[in-house]
Amino acid sequence: MSSSPTPEALAAEFDALMQRAGILVPPARRTTVLAGYADMRAQIALLHGRYSHQNEPSNVFRMDIPDGGKK
Amino acid sequence: MTLDMSIAHMGEALRAGTTTARALASDALARIDARDAALNAFVLLTPDRALEDAERADAELAAGRDRGPFHGIPYALKDIYDTAHIRTTCHSRLRLHNVPSADSVVAERLRDAGGVLLGKLATHEFALGGPSFDLPFPPARNPWNRDHITGGSSSGSGAAVAARMVRMAMGSDTGGSIRGPAAWCGTVGIKPTYGRVSRRGVFPLSWTLDHCGPLTRSVEDAAITLQVLAGHDPQDAASADVPVPDYRATLQDGVAGLRIGVPRAFFMRDTATAEVLDGIERTIAQLRAVGAVVEDIELPDYALFAAAGRVIMMAEAFAIHQADMQSRLLEFGEITANRFVLGAAITAADYINALRARRELTDAVNAALGRYDVLLTATALSTAPRFDTPVDGVASNSPIQTMPFNVTGHPAMSQPVGLSADGLPIAVQLVGRPFDEATVFRVGRTIEILSGWENVTLPA
Repeated sequence: MSSSPTPEALAAEFDALMQRAGILVPPARRTTVLAGYADMRAQIALLHGRYSHQNEPSNVFRMDIPDGGKK
Repeated sequence: MTLDMSIAHMGEALRAGTTTARALASDALARIDARDAALNAFVLLTPDRALEDAERADAELAAGRDRGPFHGIPYALKDIYDTAHIRTTCHSRLRLHNVPSADSVVAERLRDAGGVLLGKLATHEFALGGPSFDLPFPPARNPWNRDHITGGSSSGSGAAVAARMVRMAMGSDTGGSIRGPAAWCGTVGIKPTYGRVSRRGVFPLSWTLDHCGPLTRSVEDAAITLQVLAGHDPQDAASADVPVPDYRATLQDGVAGLRIGVPRAFFMRDTATAEVLDGIERTIAQLRAVGAVVEDIELPDYALFAAAGRVIMMAEAFAIHQADMQSRLLEFGEITANRFVLGAAITAADYINALRARRELTDAVNAALGRYDVLLTATALSTAPRFDTPVDGVASNSPIQTMPFNVTGHPAMSQPVGLSADGLPIAVQLVGRPFDEATVFRVGRTIEILSGWENVTLPA
């Protein structure tokens, strides 16, 4: 993900993502939603490129022992 | 008026026989009748249920059965808490006719504690959008000035408590939905530690960020309420099996010797108003004057907390609402829909990296709280905006400063410390160690006394 696409590229990316998700944004709302997407995308850029393979997410899978291992 | 008494004083009056639960409920319903038409805090009143609860509470006290400090106390629930046989709409057209068959755990615990349910409260739709005028119910208005928003999403909860219609109203907080309206309506609002209060039976916005907690008139009211709500629920996967202390035991202990860290860079952004900054500095000076050690600290960049929180929230919310977004988009309010659709644009890598950030950020806050008993920061960078200049609470320029502690799960409480020149509340936010709400309440009670907030009255 590049951090600063052109407005046209951003709009095309957004439209493709909405189409893939099966969401039909009404044309009258598109400008507003697109502005929200641009803002969120700039935030998302802050999260990328920070971590190596050693950085695990906060919710790594944990195996719970049935009945607390009493059986 | 009995409703102006604290929960503890109501309890004393009930046990002394100078009032009854029925009188408290009737007073509350009368005040709601007089005030709520202008504020829209309630989406549903339950007077029959209230009087039934109240009469049972009175009969039990008369018979010597005392359920504790919440016995006979009126309260209300944000309309995302399931209530058995009582409509629960999430303030949405999509759930307008939803009548749950069972209580949420919170509703159950309040009922079992002898509480008296007055009704269900307005929220931003599905606890996210708003304020909106295209929903089945109008948005709640700020009792300090009806031209201003309450903040959200626990909008009705903030309005109802601030307008003295009820001493305690339940909210929920995924990115600040308790603390935001608490700050802008001039109430106390605590988001307990993640896992402290069961989420079962509460409509989710984002499973890993959702917290349940009360908005109240005072810190003591909040402590009493959390005492009722806290505790392990084995049927809530996130619920923590951690002992619950007596939250009032240390409430009056003061702050002498306590260490308080101030992540100043959080609220020194250029959008903070001078009055908010003055409120924080005045509070810091007051705490120092009574023996607290208050020092500036550094935390990771606020923007990183905000980004991680927004990505996690929007991704999880979209997963919850995906089918309705695809097939019933226009039945959502426009603001809600415009925000929810953004979740469809989040990639797996975005979400995983947000969760990696979450681990990094939680470790950083825990490290700071290894050196300090609590952190003190702003809840909001401004007072409540007008309806004609609303804000998106999860946008990068949001004035609400609450998301970091949804990301990290630490207990965080907003409380008022004064009024702006135009008569709107100003608040500070306290953050505690995991499951140490007691110290948050202790510091909060000291601030409540020093700020003089107890003597601040709502304009007639």
